[in-house]
Amino acid sequence: MSWSRRLAALLPSTVERDAGGTEPDPRFTFANERTFLAWSRTALALVVAGLGIVQLLPPFPGVPAGRHLLGVPLIVLGAVLAIAAYAEWVRNQHALRRGEPLPQSVMPWILAATITGIAIIAAIVLLISALR
Amino acid sequence: MTAAEPGRQPPPGDGPEERDPGLARERTSLSWTRTAIAFAALGGTVLKENLATGLIILAVAPVVWQLGRVSRGPGSVDRSPALSAVGATRLFLITVSIVGVAALCLVIAILGRSAPGALR
Repeated sequence: MSWSRRLAALLPSTVERDAGGTEPDPRFTFANERTFLAWSRTALALVVAGLGIVQLLPPFPGVPAGRHLLGVPLIVLGAVLAIAAYAEWVRNQHALRRGEPLPQSVMPWILAATITGIAIIAAIVLLISALR
Repeated sequence: MTAAEPGRQPPPGDGPEERDPGLARERTSLSWTRTAIAFAALGGTVLKENLATGLIILAVAPVVWQLGRVSRGPGSVDRSPALSAVGATRLFLITVSIVGVAALCLVIAILGRSAPGALR
């Protein structure tokens, strides 16, 4: 499926027109919605953390761009997570309507990989600033 | 998600949630409230750096809370056969809001001036 079609499938109008399968048990629909909201709050927390690092932390001696190096990726990850959470909700709802197994989620992997990367960068920045 | 496999949904039983998804609705409603509070917290943080942007984000919080109340009243499940259709627009709006807020925060982080000592 092309990227334009994938993006079009995420639009609310397309989701609302999806009449395939049957309306799932409301408890599953509510649970899917709560999962989306939990990811949204995680995304907001990442944005706050990123902004806090850039604006509130004291600068790292010897690493002038250190705060931006740590904060900006967190803010970008927050935006990416928000979009991925919505795409995940659409895919899950699609599967629930058709009684199919729920698709594998890549979001925990994205989150873990990015946080690990940022932790490594943070360690390097701290080491450099401690040595100067 | 619940432990039950959606492909093989059990028939409705005698448990309170089987008869009425009211508790699931309540949990979802609380989840919307927490999301609105998260927006308010972010707005408060940004307010310290940029008054206008902070106020915009703060104004999103009651909108989010209100979005959570749309078609979530008692008996809404019975009245609305297509819950997913109702949810799509609201959840899309939340996603757009978070991406917009992240873009604003990115602009503040890159262009905004932080005091040399920080932790003001």
